[in-house]
Amino acid sequence: MIPRRAFLASLAAAAAVPRASWADAGAPAYLAAARDASGAFALCGLSAAGALRFRLPLPDRGHAAAAHPSRPEAVGFARRPGRFALVIDCATGRQTARLDAPEGRHFYGHGAFLEGGAVLATSENDYATGAGVIGLWAPDEGYARIGEVPSGGIGPHEILTLPDDRSLLVANGGLRTGPGSREVLNLDTMRPNLAVASPDRGGLEVSELPEPLWPNSIRHLALRPDGLAGFAMQWQHDVAEPVPLLGLWQAGQPLRLCEAPPARALAMQGYAGSVAFSGDGQAVAITSPRGGEVQIFDAETATLRAHWRRADICGLAPRGAGFLASDGMGGLFALEADGTATPLARHEASWDNHLVPVRGV
Amino acid sequence: MRPLLAALALLTTPLHAGVPEAIEGHILPRHAAFAEAAAALNTAAQADCTAEALKPAYNTAFDAWIGVQHLALGPLQEIGGPIALQFWPDTKGFTARQLGMLLKAEAPEAVTPEGFAQQSVAVQGFMALERMLYDEAFSGYVAESYACALTRAIAHDIATKAATLNADWPATAQSLRTAGEPGNATYLAPAEATQALFTALITGIEYNDDARLARPLGSFERPRPTLAEAWRSGRSQRNLALSLTALEEFAALLADGEASETQKLFNDTEAWLDGLDEPAFAGVAEPTTRMGIESLTSYLDLLKETAAAEIGAHLNVGQGFNALDGD
Repeated sequence: MIPRRAFLASLAAAAAVPRASWADAGAPAYLAAARDASGAFALCGLSAAGALRFRLPLPDRGHAAAAHPSRPEAVGFARRPGRFALVIDCATGRQTARLDAPEGRHFYGHGAFLEGGAVLATSENDYATGAGVIGLWAPDEGYARIGEVPSGGIGPHEILTLPDDRSLLVANGGLRTGPGSREVLNLDTMRPNLAVASPDRGGLEVSELPEPLWPNSIRHLALRPDGLAGFAMQWQHDVAEPVPLLGLWQAGQPLRLCEAPPARALAMQGYAGSVAFSGDGQAVAITSPRGGEVQIFDAETATLRAHWRRADICGLAPRGAGFLASDGMGGLFALEADGTATPLARHEASWDNHLVPVRGV
Repeated sequence: MRPLLAALALLTTPLHAGVPEAIEGHILPRHAAFAEAAAALNTAAQADCTAEALKPAYNTAFDAWIGVQHLALGPLQEIGGPIALQFWPDTKGFTARQLGMLLKAEAPEAVTPEGFAQQSVAVQGFMALERMLYDEAFSGYVAESYACALTRAIAHDIATKAATLNADWPATAQSLRTAGEPGNATYLAPAEATQALFTALITGIEYNDDARLARPLGSFERPRPTLAEAWRSGRSQRNLALSLTALEEFAALLADGEASETQKLFNDTEAWLDGLDEPAFAGVAEPTTRMGIESLTSYLDLLKETAAAEIGAHLNVGQGFNALDGD
């Protein structure tokens, strides 16, 4: 737990001193982890047009990143199960801090800033008990570990800051893994959920899928500014079963599922890798690198509007009224909600799982 | 060479020779053969729809389908992927249930070409037709019954889809050949075309292991012979053999003949398979015969790894960066 006064004090301190902004980092619109042609790993900043704004080396394969809301500072998370995360000053290209998972914990690949950037939250595994944990860090104190709270489930993966900037939506994927491993220990008893958590009280309000869908690991999240969230799932049982891989969450409401016809559902190979709302908020889409398909649903009716096929497609974020999509062959595409795609750029790199929008200016 | 040209040469990796060779020597002729066999199936069904009469044309067309099933890009994806022609595995029993519902309702519009195209993929394609021809719960129909019209509709739909694939492949082939050229929004670089075919090859090998073998094998304690592909028509072993023959041809052309280790493993796997007499893989349930089928998974594992490494290195492409990661 963090005393509320400490937040306000650090916020005031941050406001008083002129500091670098995202403009000093070339004003990237997105962050993405990548592997370049030489096999080296990096965290990259991209413009809305798909141009490279910066490229900072990472010691190992990244997964996702969290962008500080105001400072040009990004936290790059190692691919699960990670022992460390790196804080990078995107204006200078220097590593400014390093987060090491405390004894008995490892990172699950995602994190989010809240309280105006005064707190960083990370998804973690307490691998002795299997309990999901949200680690709390103080960016203004050199990213010191300041506490942790229960995530409200097992195997938290992506976490997102809700519009109040004080609470988090946590995708508790339900998959229990051991230290330093991706091997799943509880396939037959897994029970994922979505939890609302706060640094004061941990994961409390929990939403669950109907029991037949418990093998559907809830892993990735997207948020519309009004608080509607999309959650993407990965089916852990037979890939030949057509199951929904996208759902919609709204505080106080039952979960809604976005179902595709069986033929399209099967094309996803039981796997959604990223989820995003369109820039205009009217559509929500999921990607499947295994199926080579993006599916775009209506955010109101939860019905399939369009699909677009592209091998190894995974990263997805809002862009214009539609989406930006990235793939493992270096491609960046502007994707409209009707499924039409325009190539923006092709880099000699493999874009890793996620495209992270930079919110700050 | 002038400096500008030298710079361009560095930036532009040419299309690998294996891509046009695989298109000309494998993809286009096999789609032509499938379209022909599927048209013959439709002709036979319109002449005599009864089960016994239709079996020879069914098997010839199914043979030709297995020869292209692994080419799950471009036109095949446009019509819904391989399940548009073969809804398998059918873990929930959709095909039998939905065929039963169609036969009970006897709606005339459901068996017209336009009406049938709108039906679920579970009642279309080779697995639905197998039920009509080989499953005693369905196969006893007489000429000019509703079931006869349904059988004709399935055959007609298969022929239509095969003709569409054959008609549409030349445009996809052109898109593969011109990968990386201005205006090509499907393949942004020559390496993407190479990788698309390479992925189809490796996925095809993997499918034989993960689906055709792993599903009937189940576990030692719980073998699942009725999960074998097309066991009712006794085609399980045949489909695996035909798939390997097609993949071997594809691999040799794509690798431009530079894949001797892969070639050797195709030979070894096919020799082992030839030694089995397991048309429906029923032997998975008997400890003595199970071992012979189970050994195939070791061959296929090794074949997949070898092909991925040897041909991947030769073509300088890998499998999907994100597809393999999984998180």
